[in-house]
Amino acid sequence: MSEAHRPVFHRAVIALNGGSSDARIVRLVAEQARLTKAELIAVHILEIDWTLPLDADIAGDSDEVQRVLDSAEAIAEESKIRLEPVLLQARDVGAAIVDETVERGADLLVVGLPYRKRFGGEFAIGRTIPYILQNAPCAVWVVRDPISEETK
Amino acid sequence: MERPHSLYFRYQGHGQLVAKPAAYVALTPGERLLNRIRATVFGRPLSTEEEIGERLSKKKALAIFSSDAISSSAYATEEILRVLVLAGASALLLSVEVAIAIALLLTVVSVSYRQVCRAYPGGGGAYVVARTNLAPIFGLIAAAALLIDYVMTVAVSTASAIAQIQSVVPAVYDIRIEIAFVSISLITIANLRGLRESGNIFAVPTYLFVGLALAIVAIGAIRIIGGTAAPMAAEPDAVSFGTEGLGVLLLLKAFAGGSVALTGVEAIANGVPAFKPPESRNAANTMTAMAVLLGILFIGLTVFAVQFGLRPTLAGGPSIVALAARTAFGDGSALFVTFAASTALILFLAANTSFNAFPRLAAILAEDGYMPRQFSFRGDRLAYSWGIVLLAGVAFLLLAAFGGDTHALIPLYSVGVFVTFTLSQVGMVRHWWNERSAGWRWRMAVNAGGAVLTAIVLLVVVSEKFVDGAYLVVILVPTLVAMMLFIKHQYTRSNRELAVAPDLVVRAPHREQRVVVPIPGLTRAVVQAINVGRTISDDIRAVYISDDPVSAADVRTTFERQVPGVTLVVVESPYRALSGPLLAYLELLDAAWPPDKREPITFVVIPEYVARSWWERILYNQASKRLRRVLLGRPHTVLVNVPYRREDPALFESALGAEHADQ
Repeated sequence: MSEAHRPVFHRAVIALNGGSSDARIVRLVAEQARLTKAELIAVHILEIDWTLPLDADIAGDSDEVQRVLDSAEAIAEESKIRLEPVLLQARDVGAAIVDETVERGADLLVVGLPYRKRFGGEFAIGRTIPYILQNAPCAVWVVRDPISEETK
Repeated sequence: MERPHSLYFRYQGHGQLVAKPAAYVALTPGERLLNRIRATVFGRPLSTEEEIGERLSKKKALAIFSSDAISSSAYATEEILRVLVLAGASALLLSVEVAIAIALLLTVVSVSYRQVCRAYPGGGGAYVVARTNLAPIFGLIAAAALLIDYVMTVAVSTASAIAQIQSVVPAVYDIRIEIAFVSISLITIANLRGLRESGNIFAVPTYLFVGLALAIVAIGAIRIIGGTAAPMAAEPDAVSFGTEGLGVLLLLKAFAGGSVALTGVEAIANGVPAFKPPESRNAANTMTAMAVLLGILFIGLTVFAVQFGLRPTLAGGPSIVALAARTAFGDGSALFVTFAASTALILFLAANTSFNAFPRLAAILAEDGYMPRQFSFRGDRLAYSWGIVLLAGVAFLLLAAFGGDTHALIPLYSVGVFVTFTLSQVGMVRHWWNERSAGWRWRMAVNAGGAVLTAIVLLVVVSEKFVDGAYLVVILVPTLVAMMLFIKHQYTRSNRELAVAPDLVVRAPHREQRVVVPIPGLTRAVVQAINVGRTISDDIRAVYISDDPVSAADVRTTFERQVPGVTLVVVESPYRALSGPLLAYLELLDAAWPPDKREPITFVVIPEYVARSWWERILYNQASKRLRRVLLGRPHTVLVNVPYRREDPALFESALGAEHADQ
């Protein structure tokens, strides 16, 4: 990437979904952030369904949920970049990511998009990404997973 | 959401945590100070993931692995001359023939080791080769010889490096032991910091030494061919010509002395995995390059010394290579000083190679159970700290004991080296015999030839250098092997005793338990210990041991009033002892247990204070320390220490849920 085209950001929010794309996007953003000395915030949202109160301690009891953020922190450390891990419980993932981005005053939001197909073979983008693209006030990077043999 | 673990740990999977640097923070001011000093001297701790695996090109590998072998050309010629000078000036002329014989031996050994490089791409140290192909005992003999060899490399190379400095600055002779101490300490610190054998650090002095030494040989050759080579005037402190008869024995002794040139040849075979692919071929070719270079330098310097009439000097005088450099480059010239500096540097680097090899071998032996396990633990900087410190300590003691004299140390050096060579070659013969891959016959013949030759040289070295110090190695190798077998036996026995049968499913215990709390009176620490004891079993009793019946009665009154439900046993001890009567009381309890029931587990709960400073550690807990010592290891007995922190009274009472008894 040439100097003129390098995206300049100072604070980026990375939305983690716990999937295989997390490591890729954290590494990608951390490498860029190292050049601009930007601040990184990794957000993992745990969706709480309506049968449970929003403050039910779901995340605190789950090793797996903690692992998602800890792995991101470890990847950032490899790139010698500090990453602040944030764990949130919310009713809607897209809204929570946008809210956190606004609250943190981030100028970049990075989200991973798994390559999935609906029944019938049509590419499925889900509802979180379109919500973020429509509502996030800052620049948004969407990093789609490579197409694997299984999903072809 | 709160993430309370995140300061100290990182989740890596279900139920699996990885400690972060904050988990290693020292708790006391003393530990913090120690950690700061360690971080300053040795550097910040490195995590296991930070290990760097550098793959070496042939040029860098030649510099790294050959510094030990090539540097031996700095003292090998001198060892031949020192023997032959005893038979007069004419005997010195035979040095060239002796050197050529040693160079032939070098050829055989290096061709044999090329086979090791190809057969063991994972690194074929003599220990691995002998253990795998022969019996484990031969592996241990090779390991013991190698350990001695590594110690000797440090001692001899350091002594010789100082001798090179001394050739330029004679005053250094008086402080050689101090210099040795400082230089070994610096190498030790550098290795404890995790110094990697970075090619660049090694390349400069190694190639500088090789270049200048080749220049000396070339200048000598030109002057010899031009007919201008004339014997130099003898040094004032040159060793006088002797009058001994020149017999086979003296020649063999000279051969044994000069064979020290072969030390370090095996380093490349040990380090095959460090080469760039194709590892085996690159290592084998580097081995050939090293042998050719060493051969040229060794024979060249010997011819030079003979043609220019160089004679070894008494202790404190210049070395033969320094005299050769002076003759070739001129006394005090820049090239002469540069050569002396590069010789000293390559010798220090040769010492450094042992700091890498010794701890690694000790770690392999520790993993196999032949050395204490501490040797396989890596320190904060990923270095095998125990091995490094042991090597430095032993090498320095040896160097100091021999007065920092290279010549005095060398008889101890060659024996270990040739034991290693022989076992490694015999192991290779067995390897080809078992494997029978393409070309196995000639490969086996090469190794067999090498084995026979090195075995003969080993016998020559042992017999010729026995009284000069080789006897020490002859005693040390079996002693080390016996020590390693003893350690292995201990570990095997303890493993057998601690093993849990694979088909055993561990159920909840159903053995009866009882609690005994030895008390010095009624204190908050005692109350806390008794309450801990109550959580273990209802069968609990406090034991008060006293030599004063009056105070015992007072304690009983107080105890029964304030701690209802717990039996107090008073043991009068007219001879004022504490641990004896307690032990006797425990025996009594055991004897009173119904014989048809399985004996219970006795928990001895010992109240303690948490010391807030170093002097409190002296003032308190002495009796409990004594009890611990006596009770540790008693059958069916578990010791429980209950430390008490002196909180404020309200906190104590609320924590215990105590009620104030009516006065």
